[in-house]
Amino acid sequence: MGDRGAGERFGVFGLKCEISDMRFQISDLKCQISRLRGAVRRLLVCWGALFWLLGLTGAGADAQEPPRPVSDVVAVDHPNDVGTAVDVSWTLSPDDKPNDEPIPDPNAVPSLLSGYHILRKQPGEESFVLVGKQSAQAGEFTDRKKVVRGEPYLYQVVAVGPGGTSAGVETAEAVTPVRGLFRTDRGWLAVILLLICGAVVAFIVVAKSGRELFIRKIPGLEAVDEAVGRATEMGRTCLFVPGILDINDIQTVAGITVLSHVASLTAEFGARLEVPTSRSLVMTTARETVAAAYLAEGRPDAYREDDIYYLTDEQFGYVASVTSKMMQEKPAACFYMGSFYAESLILAETGNAVGAIQVAGTAQPSQLPFFVAACDYTLIGEEFFAASAYLSGEPVQLGSLRGQDVGKMLVASLLIVGCVAATWASVTGSASANAVVTFLQNNVLGRGGFLP
Amino acid sequence: MNATNPDQINVILATDCGSTTTKAILIEKIDGHYRQTYRGEAPTTVEQPVADVTAGVINAATEVGELAGRRLVDEQGQLIRPVKPAGEGQPAEGCDIYISTSSAGGGLQMLVTGVVREMTAASAKRAALGAGAIVMDVIASNDRRKPHEQIQRIRELRPDMILMSGGTDGGTVEHVVRIAELIAPAKPQPRFGSGYRMPLIYAGNKEAAGLVREVFDDTVELSVVDNIRPVLERENLGPARDRIHDLFLEHVMAHAPGYDKLIAWTDAPIMPTPGAVGDILQQIAKARGINVVGVDIGGATTDVFSVFDGADGNPVFNRTVSANLGMSYSISNVCAETGMPNVLRWVHFDMDERELRNRVKNKMIRPTTIPQTLEALVFEQAVAREALRLAYIQHREFATTLKGVQQQRTVGDTFSQQKGGQSIVDNMKLDLLVASGGVLSHAPRMEQTAAMLIDAFEPEGVTELAKDSIFMMPHLGVLASVHPQAALEVFERDCLIYLGTCVAAKGRAKAGKNCFRYEISGEPINERGEMACGEIRRFPLSIEETAQIVIEPARGFDVGGGPGKRIEREVRGGEVGLILDARGRPLELPEDRDNCRSRVERWSRDLRLYSE
Amino acid sequence: MATAYTPGLRVTRRMRYRARRVLPIAGDVLVGAGDKVASQDVVARTELPGDATPINLANQLSLTPADVPGCLLKQEGERVEAGEILARTKGIFGMFKGEYVSKVAGVIESASQVTGQVIIRGEPIPVEVRAFVTGQVIEAMPGEGVVVEADVSFVQGIFGIGGEAFGPIVMACEDPSQEFAPELVHEEMQGAVVIGGARMPGETIRRAIDVGAAAVVSGGMDDADLKEVLGYDLGVAITGTEEIGLTVIITEGFGEIAMARQTFALLSSRAGAAASVNGATQIRAGVLRPEIVIPLVGEAAEPEEDVPTATHGGGVLEEGTLVRIIRDPYFGMIGTVAGLPSEPQVLGSGSKARVLEVACESGEKLTVPRANVEIIGG
Repeated sequence: MGDRGAGERFGVFGLKCEISDMRFQISDLKCQISRLRGAVRRLLVCWGALFWLLGLTGAGADAQEPPRPVSDVVAVDHPNDVGTAVDVSWTLSPDDKPNDEPIPDPNAVPSLLSGYHILRKQPGEESFVLVGKQSAQAGEFTDRKKVVRGEPYLYQVVAVGPGGTSAGVETAEAVTPVRGLFRTDRGWLAVILLLICGAVVAFIVVAKSGRELFIRKIPGLEAVDEAVGRATEMGRTCLFVPGILDINDIQTVAGITVLSHVASLTAEFGARLEVPTSRSLVMTTARETVAAAYLAEGRPDAYREDDIYYLTDEQFGYVASVTSKMMQEKPAACFYMGSFYAESLILAETGNAVGAIQVAGTAQPSQLPFFVAACDYTLIGEEFFAASAYLSGEPVQLGSLRGQDVGKMLVASLLIVGCVAATWASVTGSASANAVVTFLQNNVLGRGGFLP
Repeated sequence: MNATNPDQINVILATDCGSTTTKAILIEKIDGHYRQTYRGEAPTTVEQPVADVTAGVINAATEVGELAGRRLVDEQGQLIRPVKPAGEGQPAEGCDIYISTSSAGGGLQMLVTGVVREMTAASAKRAALGAGAIVMDVIASNDRRKPHEQIQRIRELRPDMILMSGGTDGGTVEHVVRIAELIAPAKPQPRFGSGYRMPLIYAGNKEAAGLVREVFDDTVELSVVDNIRPVLERENLGPARDRIHDLFLEHVMAHAPGYDKLIAWTDAPIMPTPGAVGDILQQIAKARGINVVGVDIGGATTDVFSVFDGADGNPVFNRTVSANLGMSYSISNVCAETGMPNVLRWVHFDMDERELRNRVKNKMIRPTTIPQTLEALVFEQAVAREALRLAYIQHREFATTLKGVQQQRTVGDTFSQQKGGQSIVDNMKLDLLVASGGVLSHAPRMEQTAAMLIDAFEPEGVTELAKDSIFMMPHLGVLASVHPQAALEVFERDCLIYLGTCVAAKGRAKAGKNCFRYEISGEPINERGEMACGEIRRFPLSIEETAQIVIEPARGFDVGGGPGKRIEREVRGGEVGLILDARGRPLELPEDRDNCRSRVERWSRDLRLYSE
Repeated sequence: MATAYTPGLRVTRRMRYRARRVLPIAGDVLVGAGDKVASQDVVARTELPGDATPINLANQLSLTPADVPGCLLKQEGERVEAGEILARTKGIFGMFKGEYVSKVAGVIESASQVTGQVIIRGEPIPVEVRAFVTGQVIEAMPGEGVVVEADVSFVQGIFGIGGEAFGPIVMACEDPSQEFAPELVHEEMQGAVVIGGARMPGETIRRAIDVGAAAVVSGGMDDADLKEVLGYDLGVAITGTEEIGLTVIITEGFGEIAMARQTFALLSSRAGAAASVNGATQIRAGVLRPEIVIPLVGEAAEPEEDVPTATHGGGVLEEGTLVRIIRDPYFGMIGTVAGLPSEPQVLGSGSKARVLEVACESGEKLTVPRANVEIIGG
């Protein structure tokens, strides 16, 4: 015990050493970058001075006045962020007049103001540096330019016009951006999240306590018994097709869960199960699953590894092989569980033609109609995934299934309320219905905060 | 057996040799109609010291003869046949035909095997039960027992006969032979001594028949009949059923004391009693075109029979035997299975549970006693309700459409995929409910019989209730095989005592809310009104009378026309009359004891169950 | 029916008892007619075929079923031991041979070419039948069994659990109405048939099991105690195969009920004598009740002229017959028949039934249905 403890400790220290080494390297990098920045800044200052000189000569040529300055410049920390932005606001310059005439008057005096410049410095620094520009008529600006959390900043707003720039107006006090713990503007998201997660956790607890959780019977799964029974009585095989995608597809995984159920039934009934796959990894997984199911049923002797085999990755090569097998052996039960594309109808029609009871399950919406029409039972989309919880009967899976249902109900009810309110608002023009729609859009779904 | 022209049959003697009594009835043609006229009974004489079943038959026949003033047995102790017409100063004597059923010695006990429990094994069980057998066990590939456990079980059982099935024609051979290989080493012993070989009927995959034959040596008497399930889509129970009857006579009966004589006497093959009951119910269902449920509650077992329209529209007959649900030998088992609280919910006064448990056990060890006090009667009828309810649940689970059948679907079925193997028993489609058996037919008041039936079976819509007056159904079942018309006439006129009609609404709502409005118009009663949920009411309407009823159910309730739809029907009266039941279906009693007691008390008052 | 036969339990000081002792299947009878046998002597013996164990070799060895018989190293009818190799596949070019090691010992009964299943029959199970009662063999049925006869004191109980047991009669209670309390069970009662009085609580039975008594007999017990002793709720009264450590017999019924005075007196008069008891009860057609059989030996066994042989009680009800009421509300009361009205009467339950009047020991006169009494004694 002691040795292992020491070893672990050593390991931890080792890790820390590595990390600090990395930090050293990073700080080296930073040094180089700041050096580079210094050079660039110097270059910019030179160029700036040159332009300023040019500008002065230009201003002398035109007689227009600079705009009057803005007033009441306030900088506050940008709320609901991690402390990397500052909101700056000001009262518009008296020269900033809205140009609201439909056709601009050619004789009018051109505006003295074209926009605002926002500049920033840290207390103790010499001069303000430009961090952003804002157009006329706008009295707000959010500074996100390399704002460092915890550092104080002073801001200056300058009105800019054809006649030059006004005097800069500074903020009275330095503002320090801080990290906000909560995004209060997305409060509703937190509520919804809590509701759904809470429901999941609550149902898991309930399921663990041994209380029966009602899960609607899925006829397609109940029918697996019947299909395997038919194959047994007729002395034919059961064919299981786990889709044509690889094991990294969630539908294939769900299909393998169902395969485990089918295998335990074929073990119990003493029927033969055949699983052709189009991916080698799926074959390996299927073999493991089926072997485990036979073992659990106490019939490891009846498990035949060779009946679970790989054909080809090629979509239609695979289908051709499976269908020819179906025509030869005439299985009495066919299961299609996984991800299917164009082959769905080819397989299902062949199965139907040889007189098999067929159960399909897929989450491919485009293939569902084919399966429904050609198969005896079909697990539709979500049902297919629910099947795994239903079959395993595990509290965690059952609980999350029920919890997710609560979430779906919540979403569905929001959808219904929203649709009804929006329709009502557009038909009657009712203000309160409109308010509901706005509330749903801006507050519940948007970033309007908890209350309007 | 003489082939007799049905038109010339005027006097019929029928007996039913039960395990304790032999009951004889006399049927005579009076004014062109067959009527049951006299009955008599005597103890069955299968066991020591007499050990000859015909002695009991002669005793019972003699009693009937004495009552009828007609000599049926001659000096040699033989039945007089055919009828000797009245001569000078000498009354007519003898009968035209004699028929009999038998359940003596525990009836016909069978072991049934199949491949898949829900498919061929279920079909085999249906065939055996339909033939009137008691199925001791069902062995199947998927009965969750290991092969050696199956062998052990076969060895323990001592059936009269074995029925083997499995595989469609051209289907599995391996599974069928494997089960044969389990039966052969188990060397099953017939129940009645080692005097004969075990009869075994093979009704499975015809391609496996030869191999099955090779498995068995000469310890069994193998007979092969047509496959019970030639394809999964169709059942073919007839050949197996007939062979069971043949073997029952040839082997089982022939080895019971005195049966060789009895077989020679009868004009139609002797049938197992429950098989005969099933036959008459099928006849009546066919003749009247109705769905029927019959129940026979005995001391040890409860039989439920039903004839309902199957998936293809043809009537399907089903029978189940609930082996350990009964009113005396099995009373303790009923209480154990359902639990005391479930029994006591039907009792409208308080009882001490410990005392009650001892009473139940005392009834079990002394099964012949009868309730003396009202309290004891109410309790016994409460047990009967539970026994019937459980037996009916078992029946419903068994009477299903065939499993393993390919389904045809359209895209429209996407969200309503019905599973195969649904129960065909539908209380809404039930037309006639027939009760028989001690606790039902000997209840002091007919109202009690009706109430027990309604509470246990929960009929929906319009259902006629009747009871078998003197348990005559077995006799009529055999008669139906010789003279169907006579059987049906007697059944309608003398066998059934109509209790009345029950009209019940399906659905649930809070007590006190409107359930349905009714309007009854007829000769003796003209009433209209409203039934609130939780109410039950009785209107007297005697046997000969009928009434026209109009029922308008509230939303969510169904009386047969669909939810909320109005119906108009003619209903038949009876000893009890017309019962309107607005207690809701499924029938639920309040969990709270006080609440439940007061509710049950009100119901029994409304139905005038007890004279208090 | 003018002469109504009424059931009853037989309790008699002296009767001729015949025990039919037969084997479940044909076997050897070890004694002949006229032989004297003691209760625990083995009179017949046979061997039941052993357990059959099926092994699916086709699956175990990945063979086609048709190849299975060819791979067996032992042929049908030969013996195989546990751990012995039962079958070996031919393999490919003599390599990669698969083997199956038998897990059970026995004789190979069959090997199927259709299913690939081999059946191994285990050791035969010996079955012995004892004489049950000390007496004389009066009939030997070759291959089947014997009939043993003896003059005995005989007590029929109403209900029992457990099978056959043997031991001397030991009285635990002094009075039939005394509760058979656990304190009354002593160490000396090991191997004895212990007779109690009234109700016996579950604790008493457990204590009797602890001291190793052969059987306990008392008037009544509670259903709740029975359930506790058995470990399950008895549904149907078919017993005899329970293995709880001893045989239990109640003579009157369930509940708070004293043993009939007559039964108690008979048993106490035979205290110390060797008894054979059987708890097997079967309440169905062909009713079977538990029995306490005490053979009469020595002077008590002197032959008498008229010895009854019927093992069942009951008889015809007449005025003066001693009866016990066997249904509530008067359950357990004993009295004599005081009147037999011929007309059926309406009972409190509303049913009509034939009744009788019983004059109770307490002097009370009760009217009860005829079905609800049984005749005591015999």
